[in-house]
Amino acid sequence: MPSDDSRENTQMKRSTKWAALVSIAALVLAACGADEPGDEPEATPDEVDVEEEDEGEDEAPEEDEGDEGEEEEAAPVRADADLVIWADDTRRPVIEPFAERFGEEQGITVAVQEVAFDQIRDNVSIQGPAGQGPDVFIGAHDWLGELVENGVVAPLDLAGASDDYLEVALQAFAYEGTNYGLPYSIENIALIRNTELAPERPETLEDMWEVGLGLVESGDAELPVGWQQNDPFHNYWVVTGAGGYVFGQEDDGSYNADDLGLDTEGGLRAAELFGEMYDVGFVNPDVDYDVMINSFANGETPFAVTGPWALGDFGGVDFVVEPFPTIDGNAPGPFVGVQGFFVSSFAENELAARTFVLDFMGTDDAQLELYEAGNRPPALISAFEQVQDDPIVAGFGAAGETGAPMPAIPAMGSVWEAWTNAYTNINSGNDPEAAFQEAADQIRNLIG
Amino acid sequence: MSSPAAPRVTFVDKLAERVGAGSPVGLLLKLLFLGVVNALTLYAILTLLPLRQWTPLVVVITATLALDVIYLSKRALPMKFLIPGTIALLIFQVYPVLYTGFIGFTNYGTGNVLNQSQAVSRIIADGITVPEGATRYGATPLVDIDTDELGLLLVDPDDGQLLLGTGDGLEELAEADITGEGIERVIADRFRPLTLGEAGQREAEVLAFAVPIDDPDLIDEGAQAEAISVQTFSSAAVAIARFDYDADRDVIVDVSDGTEYRPVDGVYTSADGATLRPGFREVIGFANYQEVLTSPAIRGPFLRVFLWTFAFAVLSVVSTFVMGLGLALALNDPRMKLRRTTRSLLIIPYALPSFMTALIWQGLLNTSFGPINRMFNLSVPWLTSQAYAGALPKFSVLLVNLWLGFGYMFLITTGALQAMPEDVKEAARVDGASGWQILRQITMPLLLVAVGPLLIASFAFNFNNFNVVFLLTGGGPPIQGTLTPAGHTDILISYSYRLAFQGGRGQDFGLAAAVSSIIFLLVAVFSWIGFRRTAVLEEVNR
Repeated sequence: MPSDDSRENTQMKRSTKWAALVSIAALVLAACGADEPGDEPEATPDEVDVEEEDEGEDEAPEEDEGDEGEEEEAAPVRADADLVIWADDTRRPVIEPFAERFGEEQGITVAVQEVAFDQIRDNVSIQGPAGQGPDVFIGAHDWLGELVENGVVAPLDLAGASDDYLEVALQAFAYEGTNYGLPYSIENIALIRNTELAPERPETLEDMWEVGLGLVESGDAELPVGWQQNDPFHNYWVVTGAGGYVFGQEDDGSYNADDLGLDTEGGLRAAELFGEMYDVGFVNPDVDYDVMINSFANGETPFAVTGPWALGDFGGVDFVVEPFPTIDGNAPGPFVGVQGFFVSSFAENELAARTFVLDFMGTDDAQLELYEAGNRPPALISAFEQVQDDPIVAGFGAAGETGAPMPAIPAMGSVWEAWTNAYTNINSGNDPEAAFQEAADQIRNLIG
Repeated sequence: MSSPAAPRVTFVDKLAERVGAGSPVGLLLKLLFLGVVNALTLYAILTLLPLRQWTPLVVVITATLALDVIYLSKRALPMKFLIPGTIALLIFQVYPVLYTGFIGFTNYGTGNVLNQSQAVSRIIADGITVPEGATRYGATPLVDIDTDELGLLLVDPDDGQLLLGTGDGLEELAEADITGEGIERVIADRFRPLTLGEAGQREAEVLAFAVPIDDPDLIDEGAQAEAISVQTFSSAAVAIARFDYDADRDVIVDVSDGTEYRPVDGVYTSADGATLRPGFREVIGFANYQEVLTSPAIRGPFLRVFLWTFAFAVLSVVSTFVMGLGLALALNDPRMKLRRTTRSLLIIPYALPSFMTALIWQGLLNTSFGPINRMFNLSVPWLTSQAYAGALPKFSVLLVNLWLGFGYMFLITTGALQAMPEDVKEAARVDGASGWQILRQITMPLLLVAVGPLLIASFAFNFNNFNVVFLLTGGGPPIQGTLTPAGHTDILISYSYRLAFQGGRGQDFGLAAAVSSIIFLLVAVFSWIGFRRTAVLEEVNR
């Protein structure tokens, strides 16, 4: 029997329902909307970070420091000082004493703020224009395309000092002919070989896979090679060895987005090679970074395809770092990553920023100390020469000699997903050449 | 009738009465609360004022005044309960919705993050370059001891010749013109070195300071520059400006050949289509929506992705609800033993952050190295099979989502069951109804009234369950033959994440916001239909 009471009750329920509807809808939109960072300093691009971290691992896993999973961090806000430098936890302690000395000499206050490496990139674009960004920040050369297009990084005139840096570093830091920032380190992947399991250096790719498969067959190893998969970054050396490339390079080293090289003869040859390597079981598509680390550290695989960031986890295994084996007689070249100091175009103290970067960070002392902290060889030639006798530095150096900087042009953003899918398609049993062809078509569509 | 025993009406009581607080303690708490709010507002005003953030300033002041009025007057009683919720709703829900909607109409994204004036000054500044082969002088910025004017002490790198640059031009100096050491130096009896700290304070002035050159011998050959300016704090060189901005006509002019660049959709563009970087944020109307709806690359996989999104959300709700309800019914039976312990254990999957558990499941389901395949000696491609439109990965995603989500359904159905009056069921039993009939005709209708809205909320949540899909499969395995990359397990939100952030020009917030708005409308419509349906249930109940 409906009483007045219950009718009122129902009415109330109805209006609560409307409120609930509105708030659910709003919640949903808020969740979607969280992808876009607002222009106010408090806004955090929180949702994005999680995925970008993951993505960073896929694309350019040079950032071991960034992979520790710090998400939902508040956006960093400029410290209160005349000169503000953003650096990650590995570099900050190195930079700090230099910054202090600079501040004392010049009579200004200097702050070195700790910002997670993968947070710096986005926040320079968001916090810089909002007046909350740094004067100087560290970063990787492949951010340049985005930062320059956004107009948040200032050109830096290296002037006479340009001859003091490795060629590949200068190439990486030039965007459309203009230099941005001062390079301090270079890095690339190489072949890491367990000298106990595989005493001889494989000369060719075929040698390498015979050794790997042989060891698995004889029961001495569980995995022919520790090579994290479906990952264009770690697979690129095979592409270049086979004669393919991602984007064509102009004479001055800059990349041409209209010249995609995945479906060239060399690119398709690389696809075919991957088809074979997956078929014979040399390359296992299920290997990820953790499997690679564990197998190599436990002596379960003779080879690892990785970079300096992984060495710390290899424990007591005896290994050497060397260039990749040749493919069809060609020396392969991996992507080379270069890190350096950039001056923000929203620097509050541009003169001090430029002076600090050029006069303090472009020195042997600074570059060697950064090398010791991060294990990445210096980009300054005079500093590099002091450490090049180290077998690990020499090994990575030799492997990277034939490499070119990873393209920094924004078009590179369209490449990763399609290319990763191509490898997945190949190891799922589809035609390798068609897979690369499809990826190339998709990338062209995305670039538009 | 004043007797000494009668309670004295104190000032505090009167005040409490006036502002509608019941007791002095209540008054104290209220004043404390309002004091804190007003103090925060004052702080916000002092922060926002120098930043010239007018909109937030007005909002903050209005909100605080409204709070003060409402809580200090006796009349607006209902408002006292409504206003905190309303303010929270406005800040946390309505504002993001409107802001997202607005971004959807702009070109905000890589290449268009600055505002127009920032972009213009960037273009002008980037156009100033030191010509190749120009002499780079060692330089010390100076300041006139009396007049505070700027100057430059230059050292020619080739012959060590000292030069003094002022706003009037260059003159040669002899060593003897400099007295003192370091920071104490006095140059030509007029200037002292500028410290970097001072330079920082006068930065714009220092960077703009130029020494005109009239002596042709001092100009680098071939360079058309007319002035020397500082490059760093210790070097100076001739520099050429390539661009000039005409503010009246809003055009940027290339000085070298007279080309004019006009703003087109947030980018300065010349007549023949050449563009200048960076662009700026601008409202571009429905262009983003148009792209979503008409671009063949986007539209191609859109329908598939949409259908799967819908199926994923519905199946996730149904599977978690059925499992949660089943367990709740079983554990609601007093004959079950260890009910509390079991209940606590069942909530664990829901209580763990889905973030970690999704990644752990990804490891568990790895084809070669995953414990699940290893334990049973299988090699099932749980997450990567492309067969039957990725049926197996779709199943895996649903399975993991079931594991993640049944705990929540268990929780809410247990609550609803326990709140249900026993006597109704008792009466049914007396009337001879079977257990199944009681469940279908008594328990379920009563339960659905209570949890119906939550099921709709769960649908809305799963419609946008980015975490599970992205962390588990990344949207993969890839669908073959699409114009742009798309995966079999991609749902709308993960697909549009790819479009917006891994597409042609880097990050495209405008496009992302447009897609978000479309998803918002979809979910709103579905939720509305859902609420209509639960309303019908309620009618039955009444």
